[in-house]
Amino acid sequence: MALRNRRVLIIEDNAMDSSLLAKMLRQGYGEFEVVRAESMADAEGQLAGEHFHTIISDLTLPDSQGLATFTRLHDAAGHSPIIVISGTDDEELALAAVREGAQDYLVKGRFDAAGLRRAIKYAIERHQIEQALQDSEQHYRHLLESITDYTYAVKLRDGVAVETKHSPTCVSVTGYTAEQYQEDPELWLRMVHPDDQAAVVEQAKRVSSGETPVALDHRLRHKNGDLRWVRNTVVPRRDEGGSAIAYDGLIRDITARKTAEEKLVKSEAFYHSLVESLPQHIIRKDLNERFTFANQKFCQLLGKPLDQIVGKTDFDFYQPDLARKYQTDDRHVMKSGRTFEAVEVNQAPGGEQRYVNVIKSPIHDLEGHVIGIQGIFWDITERMRADEDLRRTHAELRKSHAEVKAAQLQLIQAAKMESIGTLAAGVAHEVKNPLATLAMGLSYLEKSVNSTDENVRMVLSEMRAAIGRADKITRELLDFSAARQLDVQSEDLNRLLEQTLVLIRHQLNKQQIELITDFAPALPHVSIEKNQIQQVLVNLLMNSIHAMSSGGKLTVRTSKKRLTRSLHEEGSRSSTQFFLGDSVVTVEIEDTGPGIPQENLAKIFDPFFTTKPTGVGTGLGLPVSKKIVELHGGAIEIINRVEGGVRVTVMLRADKTL
Amino acid sequence: MKKKVLLVDDEKSFSNLLKLNLEQTQRYEVCVVNCSEDAQAAAREFKPDIMLLDIIMPRMPGGNVVAQFEADPALKDVPIVFLTAAVQRSRVEDMDGIISGRPCLAKPASVEEIVAMIEKQTSGQAQNG
Repeated sequence: MALRNRRVLIIEDNAMDSSLLAKMLRQGYGEFEVVRAESMADAEGQLAGEHFHTIISDLTLPDSQGLATFTRLHDAAGHSPIIVISGTDDEELALAAVREGAQDYLVKGRFDAAGLRRAIKYAIERHQIEQALQDSEQHYRHLLESITDYTYAVKLRDGVAVETKHSPTCVSVTGYTAEQYQEDPELWLRMVHPDDQAAVVEQAKRVSSGETPVALDHRLRHKNGDLRWVRNTVVPRRDEGGSAIAYDGLIRDITARKTAEEKLVKSEAFYHSLVESLPQHIIRKDLNERFTFANQKFCQLLGKPLDQIVGKTDFDFYQPDLARKYQTDDRHVMKSGRTFEAVEVNQAPGGEQRYVNVIKSPIHDLEGHVIGIQGIFWDITERMRADEDLRRTHAELRKSHAEVKAAQLQLIQAAKMESIGTLAAGVAHEVKNPLATLAMGLSYLEKSVNSTDENVRMVLSEMRAAIGRADKITRELLDFSAARQLDVQSEDLNRLLEQTLVLIRHQLNKQQIELITDFAPALPHVSIEKNQIQQVLVNLLMNSIHAMSSGGKLTVRTSKKRLTRSLHEEGSRSSTQFFLGDSVVTVEIEDTGPGIPQENLAKIFDPFFTTKPTGVGTGLGLPVSKKIVELHGGAIEIINRVEGGVRVTVMLRADKTL
Repeated sequence: MKKKVLLVDDEKSFSNLLKLNLEQTQRYEVCVVNCSEDAQAAAREFKPDIMLLDIIMPRMPGGNVVAQFEADPALKDVPIVFLTAAVQRSRVEDMDGIISGRPCLAKPASVEEIVAMIEKQTSGQAQNG
């Protein structure tokens, strides 16, 4: 090795010694470049900035003494070799430094220039060799640690193991060194997982008897506690006579593979369970429409084991039209690459026709090419039937709703007819007066005119018959309506009103109308047909409510009165049968609406008179109400109140108190 | 002597024809009042043996006229017969011809029925008078 341009750091506080050393090194061919330092601090400064091939240092410096000087230098110098200089009296110290890693030591006054240079040269060379060795060792160690295999050899005598040797890499797999196996003959078996020990012993036995058993996968416990999977392969060695004298084993760490395998098994079990436990039918087909997979559910549907399904097509199981349909859909999915969903008919061999919901999607290979389809379908027949039931029920409901509406219309119509019937009775009543007049006139004529004239007698006779017929008709009409309408009972009007107000409460709330009731206590009963009078009250209350479309106050009052005035307004022909002094029960209904225009007041009881829009009011409410009250021998009076709004008074004869 | 009949009815034509019929019998003198409010005054002057009274009339219903007569010492004993279209013949029959405590005839009634009723209601008077 050429010693050119070697940089040497001399650390020496004694200027004379330092200068001497430098001088020695500069002799010759000037192959050394010398740098001098006088203290540890000085030296550390130099070493931090530059690399030196060799460091020569006195161990006794002003700021560092003894072995500490060396260790500090060793840390600061890194890989540079260090030669220590000692005095003649402390050679022991120098030797200690060499044991700690100094390359060499020189004793002051005992070396010359050549000796010094040689010492440096050897120091550098030795140091380089050491370095290389170290590198190699490290490399080797890395290699060893990364090897997951080791071998072992077992010597046999009469079929019994007498000596075992493990290759050094056993440490990386098991954590134990070859020496530890040597020292502890039971260790190799003890580290095997208890459940696997029998198999391992069996394998050893068989190879010891000269067989070549198959490789055995087993678990072992690493020194650090980890569980490892290994594959143990053994081969017997035989002598010329053919008997086993030894065997060689190879232990390969397969933990990573086993773990991956276990994961795969678990994952497969997971998907298997998923596919087989789902209530849906799942199938796969290849590009040629052949089944490649079917879950048990589908196998059950077809009534065939999987191996009789795989490789077949829909045509082997389904009617041709269904099979054709399925395949057309499959090809559409494979061609478009898109998922397909539909409700379709499925009829397994020997089964009934069912509706199924099916989803099909393409299967791709790793490069993305379509290689088939997979489908999942499930029976929705029950749901379809339920839907159908629902639709039918819905249709029935609609129908009955329409029927109810029709019935309602009929009821309205019937109510109108009844109203008209009631009015007809009223009209019949009015007809009786002119009939009475005609009868009177006829009576007179019959007695006055010449009764010998046959024609006159015939005319009078015909007229008498005609009057008789008209009278009969009107009487029948009246008897009919009276018979129908008067089924009276003694009732408490206060109670009836309370029941009636319940019916209109919603309307009151809706229109924000305040209700004030003022019911007289101990009100005498009245003889009424409850439903009819309630109809009247509802009608009158609703009229008042309609008059207060933007809110207001509704007052309902009952009282017992003795009649002190005639109820008869000018021009009215009310059919009241009250006499002055009669005891009556009155219901007064007052609203705060706009009142009734004077020109309408006379017409409100006329049939078909209404101020409400067409279709809202029939114009029969008040006439019918009036008729009902009159049939009860009562009266209705409607006036505009002085303070505004309308007051309706219903008067009914009080029952005689017992 | 003819019996004096006061006929109170707002139907002019009816009352006139009934008057003609009754007078034709030669047995009755008939006074017609078409306005019920005038009934009391007319009765005080005419002094009827019997009053035939309609019920449904404008201004004052028959019931009020009855009340007036009952309250009038000069008239309280005058027999009153309702002659009305307001009450049906069937109902009158159901009530034995008595409505509101008074005999009643439903229109249209024949002249014969009316005469019979007048005779029945005034027979006691005739015996007394």
